[in-house]
Amino acid sequence: MLRASAVCELAGVPTASLTSEGFLGQAAATSIGLGLPNIPIALVPGHPGAQSKDELRKNVLDVTLGRVIDNLTRMPSPAGKRGEPKARDIVVKGGFSAVNRYFYENELSDGLPIVPPTAEAIEFFLRFTDRDPDESLGVILPDSRAATIWSIAVNGVMAGCRPEYMPVLVAAVEAMCDPKYGVEHSGNTPGGETLIMVNGPIIKQLGFNYLQGALRDGFMPNTTIGRFWRLYMRNVAGFLPHKTDKATHGTTWRVVLAENEDVLAEIGWEPNSVEMGFAAGDNTVTIARYTGGGAFPSVMGDTPERILPYITDSVLRYHSWQIHFTESSGDGSLRPLVVLSPILARTIAKAGWSKTDVKEYLYQHARLPAWKFEHFLREWTVKGTWSLELAVKDGRMPAHFFESSDPERMVPIVWHARDFMIAVSGDPLRNNAYVFAHNAFMGYPTGKKIHLVRDWERLLAESQKCAS
Amino acid sequence: MPTNDGYYEAYWPRTPRQTGIKPLAPRLKSLEGRTVAYLWDYIFRGDEIFGYLEKGLKARYPGVRFVSYTEFGNIHAGKEKEVLAALPQRLKELQVDAVICGMAC
Repeated sequence: MLRASAVCELAGVPTASLTSEGFLGQAAATSIGLGLPNIPIALVPGHPGAQSKDELRKNVLDVTLGRVIDNLTRMPSPAGKRGEPKARDIVVKGGFSAVNRYFYENELSDGLPIVPPTAEAIEFFLRFTDRDPDESLGVILPDSRAATIWSIAVNGVMAGCRPEYMPVLVAAVEAMCDPKYGVEHSGNTPGGETLIMVNGPIIKQLGFNYLQGALRDGFMPNTTIGRFWRLYMRNVAGFLPHKTDKATHGTTWRVVLAENEDVLAEIGWEPNSVEMGFAAGDNTVTIARYTGGGAFPSVMGDTPERILPYITDSVLRYHSWQIHFTESSGDGSLRPLVVLSPILARTIAKAGWSKTDVKEYLYQHARLPAWKFEHFLREWTVKGTWSLELAVKDGRMPAHFFESSDPERMVPIVWHARDFMIAVSGDPLRNNAYVFAHNAFMGYPTGKKIHLVRDWERLLAESQKCAS
Repeated sequence: MPTNDGYYEAYWPRTPRQTGIKPLAPRLKSLEGRTVAYLWDYIFRGDEIFGYLEKGLKARYPGVRFVSYTEFGNIHAGKEKEVLAALPQRLKELQVDAVICGMAC
């Protein structure tokens, strides 16, 4: 909302930004990154979602109205400049404990010990990229800081990454900076977390786990690159709990998922990288943000027809309010992800089914009665008045969401079959699967190629020799 | 504290902000006779709140005019970037003097 207010202010039009009580801190922090630290805010007491009509009217008339008038007719005092270190400043000198205390007390770490980012450690990381350390991959909201190669190395060191992970880190931050991903939404209240998926020969070169426990910590590249993401979100994007990160509950960072490309090749399914538009064999990252999800075990059956009903049911169970993004304001940007264990993928493929066939099955069968779809959005969450009929009639949703006025008609949870994403990873011989509930345009699936440094093999061999 | 704690010179993990402080738009002397537009992210009862505000503002400034949020599109959704890019021109076309923007919830 403040982004819209900032556009108005810069266009010469004064604004009053209606902000509920719990979001004043976020507004104050976000306004700094927008370059308008004194942008005026009009308080809405409490939260409108938990007030009766009378309570809301009274709060608006007694409190908000006066603030709105004030915001529009009185120039707020100018905000003072806050001093910060410069890009390559050493901010603390001392022992491991002192460095960690400084980083924690200055909101620069996640609460776990960090590896001190020293010149020597950073230099090792920079050897694994051909790019200039001062090159910026973009400016990231809410803090409006530059995503430099240098800062990627610094945060990579802190996260405990190996220097040779640097090309993956750079690709992940390139994806973070892509406007299609929507990083600026990462402080939203559902508190979703990004999953990084890796494809290509680099999986084996760097030793990613793609077998049993694929989403469990304990494997250095999967774990530390996942941690790097959250540190970078904190330090460069600027998402800080109690300030710009408004996750009501939140979750910790996700371990990186690597696909089992051996099994994909064996069954003739395309890896995720190809579905994201890259050539088979390219090293890639794909990032997307998920609000939740979970495992569903013991998917029984020896044919797709026996296996897929349970998977379909689980996709539906893990997606409830997220269909908010299927309706018009989300522009159909919901992209559920299903991770199949290899034995499930093999069994489905044995019947001649492709990934596309699985997506089509999910599209046809993962459906809700229209009344329930509307119920989620209207009665249970945020919409007040809203209907599929109006959204279709106004051209904001595809026609198949209102083929009749029968409230029992079944409607899909995505706009197209291709919106489902399928990956293969995990314990090769256990018939379990995992569903990720997507956060849509607030973390849209975005892929980037991983560019390897010239002389990659030699540098990798040297680095791995040093580590052993 | 351990005595074998090592010695490190640690770099700042952030980068400088790329935005300088920008000036706010001039404020209005009064809302009387002015045009106020609503911008909305289509959530959290903004439409209801705008209704209450409109009543209150009209009572105080009988000549104030209002422009509905429907003139601009959803400011926080899949089309946010397009909506915000079009905003300055749209405000001009509709001769808007001030904006009430919601909802941060």
